[in-house]
Amino acid sequence: MDKGLARYLINEINLMATEEIKIMEVCGTHTQMISKLGLRSLLAPKIKLLSGPGCPVCVTDERYIDRAIEIIKKYDVTIATFGDMIRVGGMEGSLLEAKGKGRDVRIIYSPLDLIKMAEENRDRNIVFLGIGFETTAPVIALTIKTAAERGIENLFCLTAIKLMPPILDYILKQPSHNVGGLICPGHVATIKGSDYFRFIGVDYCIPAAVCGFEASDILIGIHYLVKQIRQNKKAAFKNLYRRYVRSQGNPIANQLIEDVFKVSCGVWRGIGRVESSTLDLNEKYARFDAKQVFAVEEKSIKSTSCECKDILLGNRTPKECKLFAQLCNPVKPYGPCMISSEGACAIAYRYREEI
Amino acid sequence: MCIAVPGEIIDLFPPQARVKLMGVETTINIQLIESPKIGEYVLVHGGCAIEKINRAYFDDLFNIFISIIDEDEKKDG
Repeated sequence: MDKGLARYLINEINLMATEEIKIMEVCGTHTQMISKLGLRSLLAPKIKLLSGPGCPVCVTDERYIDRAIEIIKKYDVTIATFGDMIRVGGMEGSLLEAKGKGRDVRIIYSPLDLIKMAEENRDRNIVFLGIGFETTAPVIALTIKTAAERGIENLFCLTAIKLMPPILDYILKQPSHNVGGLICPGHVATIKGSDYFRFIGVDYCIPAAVCGFEASDILIGIHYLVKQIRQNKKAAFKNLYRRYVRSQGNPIANQLIEDVFKVSCGVWRGIGRVESSTLDLNEKYARFDAKQVFAVEEKSIKSTSCECKDILLGNRTPKECKLFAQLCNPVKPYGPCMISSEGACAIAYRYREEI
Repeated sequence: MCIAVPGEIIDLFPPQARVKLMGVETTINIQLIESPKIGEYVLVHGGCAIEKINRAYFDDLFNIFISIIDEDEKKDG
């Protein structure tokens, strides 16, 4: 980190903070870095940094986890998952608890590792929990396509891949939203391109910037947004992560997404149904769809009294929830924002932020 | 979860490559990027290279910041 640049940017941002400005980010890594770097304590109190629904683990519906647990109980399959998912509870417990009861739950780093796992265990069905945002979608698509090309018949995917623009639309269409500027997720933009986020300025008259994840990246982003807000340039948009983000993104990755998935209505934990916000396997790859192959009964959701929905939408901060750090904590999380290590409440708890 | 880290390609054996990620060597898939070469830097997510680095924007964040200000001021006239 260039300390001189960081100091200059913080000073400039604070000089411009003559009125309250709320800036939202929608990426768990941004949430994490802002807290880890202590940016809230360095910036003027009038600069409010909000964490939106940027953690795919947090926003994965409880019923999805319950479905995975039901599948492993009913069909005795191997469940393969990213490590982030294993502690997350549905209404019927977590995958970690299922593993503790002797079920075959394995953590993987790359979905592509499943090709080898499936080929070496032809007599055992493997269900991969395919979650993530647009960043992870092409890696999952490549795995499914490779499995099809190699004639693998024992690998299946339970998809819950979320898309960013529909949830941003959902947030910005709320009459109560108070987002003044948006830090767009740099690695989603790496795949989809910076132009993917231009609609924020065009449709909602809110300045937005694609940002990287170093301290200087985030500060340059905040500086840019605060400056646009102060100068009333409401449709301003900038790609500030040009070392990894092209305007149209990665064409190979996007072609793979198009080849393997179709857009469907999605359910976001703590928020509910959002139209056209998820990717499911398309008809060509339907034979890999664990939802279709392993039928289980769907459970209903119990409501919680936490404020996660308002936190995810930027209307409240973790500390404004009456359960935060009291009844709701990382050991016993109540809502989606505390469930994953990248959730806004879990991060606020970890860094003891006064937000 | 969308975390991705830069790595240098040190060996190529398509569809995979050996990369050095923050001092650690590992094997990744390179099917999502065009014409990777040894010595190039790529962004790695979930065991896959998802983009090549654009060196022109890599080394000097300060100059990026200055160029942004300059662009804005030129537009403002």
